Amino acid sequence: MNFDQLLNVSMRLGTMLLENGAEIYRVEESIRRMVLAYGAKEVDVYAIPNTIIVTLMTQDNCNLTKTKRIHDRTTDLDKVERLNHLCRQICQNTPDLTTVDKQLNEISQRPVYGFYSHLIAYAVTSSMFTLFFGGNFSDAFWCFWIGPLLKITAHHLTKLRTNPFFTTILCSFFCGLLSTLVCHFQLASHVDKMIIGLVMNLVPGVAITNSVRDIIAGDFIAGQTKMTEALLTATSIAVGTGIALSISTYF
Amino acid sequence: MDVLLPCLYTFIATAGFCIIFNIRGKMVFYAALGGTIGWLAFIGSSFLGTDLIQYFIATVIIALYSEIMARIHKVPITVYLIAALIPLVPGSGIYYTMEHALTGDIDAFLETFIHTIAIAGSLAFGILLVSSLFRLTHHINIDRNQ
Repeated sequence: MNFDQLLNVSMRLGTMLLENGAEIYRVEESIRRMVLAYGAKEVDVYAIPNTIIVTLMTQDNCNLTKTKRIHDRTTDLDKVERLNHLCRQICQNTPDLTTVDKQLNEISQRPVYGFYSHLIAYAVTSSMFTLFFGGNFSDAFWCFWIGPLLKITAHHLTKLRTNPFFTTILCSFFCGLLSTLVCHFQLASHVDKMIIGLVMNLVPGVAITNSVRDIIAGDFIAGQTKMTEALLTATSIAVGTGIALSISTYF
Repeated sequence: MDVLLPCLYTFIATAGFCIIFNIRGKMVFYAALGGTIGWLAFIGSSFLGTDLIQYFIATVIIALYSEIMARIHKVPITVYLIAALIPLVPGSGIYYTMEHALTGDIDAFLETFIHTIAIAGSLAFGILLVSSLFRLTHHINIDRNQ
């Protein structure tokens, strides 16, 4: 048994899980079960949202440790689902580690929805939420065109490696500004419903859900980190739309 | 129609979020259905009085639905939970809090602010309750197998 390779492959599995938005306990549990399934004597895994540390004891009582720093995290639930499935299979059948590595490659190359699908998704969600919160059809029509602009702004700012909170501030600023402009020219009637429908794309739903699930599982540091993220995102939305509304009083 | 149309809106909006979170295949339909069920639970519990209890009950129903569907389809529960909870996240609360802060109406600002935090708390406790209960059954199953 090559324990060095085992450590690398299991760490790769954990890293991919964490990068695609899995909960902390899922990352720790997946690595632990995988390493134990391949016959390590002892294993300890510690994960927080941007680091994983794995230490395992081989059968001849040697200790191996690997640390991994995670920089970018996204939400890609399709990959999480596939990795979870793969991990179950590995623990049952313990296939050759090179095959596992190939399967991990396949998962990392799985298709994601393209940029244009995202644009359509943003358009549809923002117009639907505008209707949901009580806007009329002309509000929804304009949100249908402003929604994709949100995605384009976020996409280009992420390329420039700005921090996520500044991106949220700018995106919600554009939402607010464009909505007030549209209503200023009497093309739509409810500024508030339009802005709410648009910022529903930015609200920290994922952060709230994941932080609660981490806290239940006993990972308080991860839970607090994500709770802070949720609060800061909400504040960024308020700041961005607030700036836009203050400017709009001068039109 | 007042009930049916918002259901349609939540269904389509949640399906849109599935694309943003890269959920694929039949799971898009079930996740979107979760969003609609949550909204129906919200409307259905309106006789209970305050909307905080409505948010709590809607979250409990969504979390139950997600736990059951996750077990049926053998996928991580977050696939269903994250997408289905989005329509309940207090986006309007954030906006109106900011608006009251801008106009300088401190009383209304504090009221909306605390209300928004309370809604987020209701969501959190709804998930907490259901997930803790399901973790309990998980351990009971393990004990039985041993």
